[in-house]
Amino acid sequence: MSYSQRESPILGTLCERLVQDQYGELAARVFSIFARYGRQTLAALTRASYLNGRQIKHGLVVLIQQHLIFHSSADPRATSYEVDWAQAYALVRYGKISVLVENRMGKEAANVVSNLLSLGHTRVADLKEAYFPSHKASAANGEANGLANGAVAGPKANGVKLNGTTPKTNGAVEIPSELDDAKLAVATLTNGDAPTENGTANGTPEMNGNKKRPISEATKSNGIESKEAKTSQEAQMVDGANEIKSVDDLERVLERLIDRGWVVQVDETHYLSPGDAHILAREQVMDESYQGSLPSGTKAKEMMNQQILERKREIRDDALKKPHFVASKRAAPDNSPPQANKRTKLNNGETAIAIPGMVPAQPTSQSQDRIVLRVNLEKVAVAMRTDALVRLVEQRLGHVTAECYKIMLYHLERHIPRCWDELEGEIVPFNADLTDPRFRTTSQNVAKKLDRKIDVFEGLDPATVVKEVGRNSKVDSKNRVHPPLHPHKISLDIKAKIVDKHINMLAEDPLRFVTWVSRNGVNEWTVQFDEISKAFVQAEIEKTIEARKGPLGVKLVRALKKKGKLDERQTSIAMMMSATEIRGVVNDLAVQGYVQTQEIPKVDRREAKLTMIYTWYDIQRAREKLLHDTYKGMVRILQRLEFESKQRETLLRKAERSDVVGNETKWLSKFELEKLKEWRDIEEKLLLQLEREDEVVAVVRDFVRPMLSI
Amino acid sequence: MASAIRDGEPTTAEERANNLYQKGSEAPQGTIFFQRDLHNMQVAESLADLLNLIGILVGQHLFKPMTFENEPCWEVRSRDEADKLRRLTPDERLLYHHIEQVGSEGVWSKALRNRTNVTQQVMNKCLKNLESKELVQSVMSVKFPNRKMYLLKHLIPSEDIAGGPWQSDGEFDAPLIEIVTSLIHQYVEKETSVHVPGDWNDWVAHDRAAAIAKKRTQVQVSDIEDTPLPSYRPPRSRSHFVPRADPRYPTIQSIRKFIVDSNIIRERKVRDEDIEQLLDVMVLEGRLEKMKGKSYRTPPGTKNTDSFNGFVDAPCGTCPVFDQCMDEGPISARTCVYFGEWLGTESDVIHRVVSF
Repeated sequence: MSYSQRESPILGTLCERLVQDQYGELAARVFSIFARYGRQTLAALTRASYLNGRQIKHGLVVLIQQHLIFHSSADPRATSYEVDWAQAYALVRYGKISVLVENRMGKEAANVVSNLLSLGHTRVADLKEAYFPSHKASAANGEANGLANGAVAGPKANGVKLNGTTPKTNGAVEIPSELDDAKLAVATLTNGDAPTENGTANGTPEMNGNKKRPISEATKSNGIESKEAKTSQEAQMVDGANEIKSVDDLERVLERLIDRGWVVQVDETHYLSPGDAHILAREQVMDESYQGSLPSGTKAKEMMNQQILERKREIRDDALKKPHFVASKRAAPDNSPPQANKRTKLNNGETAIAIPGMVPAQPTSQSQDRIVLRVNLEKVAVAMRTDALVRLVEQRLGHVTAECYKIMLYHLERHIPRCWDELEGEIVPFNADLTDPRFRTTSQNVAKKLDRKIDVFEGLDPATVVKEVGRNSKVDSKNRVHPPLHPHKISLDIKAKIVDKHINMLAEDPLRFVTWVSRNGVNEWTVQFDEISKAFVQAEIEKTIEARKGPLGVKLVRALKKKGKLDERQTSIAMMMSATEIRGVVNDLAVQGYVQTQEIPKVDRREAKLTMIYTWYDIQRAREKLLHDTYKGMVRILQRLEFESKQRETLLRKAERSDVVGNETKWLSKFELEKLKEWRDIEEKLLLQLEREDEVVAVVRDFVRPMLSI
Repeated sequence: MASAIRDGEPTTAEERANNLYQKGSEAPQGTIFFQRDLHNMQVAESLADLLNLIGILVGQHLFKPMTFENEPCWEVRSRDEADKLRRLTPDERLLYHHIEQVGSEGVWSKALRNRTNVTQQVMNKCLKNLESKELVQSVMSVKFPNRKMYLLKHLIPSEDIAGGPWQSDGEFDAPLIEIVTSLIHQYVEKETSVHVPGDWNDWVAHDRAAAIAKKRTQVQVSDIEDTPLPSYRPPRSRSHFVPRADPRYPTIQSIRKFIVDSNIIRERKVRDEDIEQLLDVMVLEGRLEKMKGKSYRTPPGTKNTDSFNGFVDAPCGTCPVFDQCMDEGPISARTCVYFGEWLGTESDVIHRVVSF
């Protein structure tokens, strides 16, 4: 079974809560049935729930649009649905994702990504329409309200997609046909049963307008987005400098996002659960190589398993293939005047919505408009890994070295589609990529991109600095440099040399943050993520144990990790401490599940005196325990948040009234304002903590493959 | 026999035996003599005589009979020791003989009884006597804490039973370990990193005022949203350690030399293995880091003890009743006192009827 699909009950609870906060109660109810019962058909779902068929279908459509549910129609009799746990959990990261994108590609890209996230998957044309609404189109739809456009966006995107690539499962790819009525109903539904659903699923038509954006409203009241996300969104709304000004801008941003793998084209296989994907690949392999029947003999079966894996990889990689997407600015010669661009935009907007394919002015743009896009979650984990590594380096080696490392990692990150490959047959370490020049970087490269405000001398031995730069400077006995050297008045060459010293520090570290590859004139470096990520998991477990049991607990775990299974005496020798001191910690950690114990009676009675007690540490077990505990901690935070908001229900209801929002000082009393501020602080504290717990989850779950247990 | 009588030479077997003993004890202590070695001393008149002399000396416990690769050989005992031995009962002598054989490894009392086949009572009595005569000593084994090991009085118990220099009376000597490790830590730190004052390269000082003035105008003119955030720079006032440019990563050997030279451990011999054991523990404690091979350094960076990770910094991470905490019920998020403390809010009191 796929690693990401092994859900635990606590994850179910967590995701259900996230879904409820983001998409409302109906979607959460439907989701919770899947979370509890696993894979279901529509009929079984209806039996398991007391919701009526219409409600269930509405809920399902929302879930499918947001990729929270897999579905497969491999069995022609009934479509099966299954929770996509990775995506469901990722709801907690939506705020973080736009921050990650912003740090790498600027605010424009972050804006696009956060819109893509809230819209679910979106057709390029609809995204354009959302940014630059053509009033003609909305009039044609007969809806004065811009919201309606967005509402149509989802299903329409589906429809276009269907006639596209795959005739095989036609009709049931994006949204199974049995839900067709619900699809329409949702599309026309205005504000009836589930307002939250509509609010978010329908999307945000007027990004640049003065109107307050539904996403940020929804997120605020739901309290799911993190503080940072909020601030970044607010920033987007406030300033005009980083907003997307034209369709060309948007296309340019999309092109970059696609190029770096942040945004991928939606493929029908994205809707298949890992199990269904396996069945699909197996059938294909069987039909092609084994005439549709199972081969006999272990060797042949083994061979087939390899082929299936291979096929699964192919299917996945095909689905992730970068669509041919070129910003029109590049396609058109750049000497065209701005007016021409403007006209192009209008054309696009009109043709895409109203009469597809009628105006063949720009055929590439036409086909481009039909591409359906979504955010790639695997890439998010890669980016989170980068950030976590940079934080670690900052703590160990200082700010400047961390900045250098960040630039190196950003550079490498572009070509890394995922942290680890579940479909890799045998475990191949990252070393395989050493030959690939894309995974290398040099100090020159870093020096060029390093922020000019950074004092590159910081964090180095003064002797090194003086040796490389100092013409007349000397280091005195207290390690002060006289006269001081100015870090901004050095040439790029020298800067590169200094950066090289920082990189050397990274390479020297026992954690091997970077690895030297070759000297093609200059030193080239790469990063072997697998090993570091393993150390990372261990470090995270150690931090947890340290907080609970102090340094002694960490020492115990490290000793056990190093020496394997030990009895009491061996443990005490390994730690050079008396057994009595250790006993209590062993016991506590065993109860908490971070250390395993085993009793072996020497005689057939179970007397404590005649029993050998062994203790050992299994990193994979500890890892899963920590993951489970963290999920639980996150659930508790969300529950507390709900409780705290219930406590202030009247006040919050008042504060959220549309006439009060923005005019708080005018309509609220001093006492209420104080209480409101108090609530905001509590909310912020809890959400920030939630985000930090998510970072723990990322380290423990996402960065490295499951490790072999002893 | 007549041929052996030369001018002034001792004639009685007693005297000749004495002579042989003298010559034997001139050799360095612990030397083992084979028959040919004793023969070459030219004390005995013939092979038969030599065997006779050896018999006398062994009888007086001045020679200790041994075998080496099935060949008989002998070692010289001191006269004091021989004296004491002579006064022993046969049982005691038997036990002594066995204890002597194991050398500094020591022998477990139970194993001793198996080998000698004496009764428990006899053995206890004999061992007590031997101890009171200061011929043997008993040591508690480190490996098996409930075993009493016997070995000769003048021997130093081996590592296996007494532990290394870090143990005394079978327990780890925590204060000694603490002193030695902190010394090692200082030494390694000195070798691998440099202490840099916060203002080591004081380049901003001269134009700081101008920069502040410039910034002030910027801030006043434009909206705070538009001004690009200055890149974060950690405060520079703190002094800190940075890795040395030319690190001499200490190895086990160099650290041992340092410890021996510092002369803190006098009574015991410190071997490389002992130091390695100590260094391993320091690595476990995170006070040292192992570099490539067998060299060490102190971990760079400051350890943050206020904040660990997102999970344990929240109340749940270190909650004593975490495993009992449920979605609903007496222990849950809404009734949690720890959350209340952390957020500064009131939690639901259990059993209170909540009405909204």
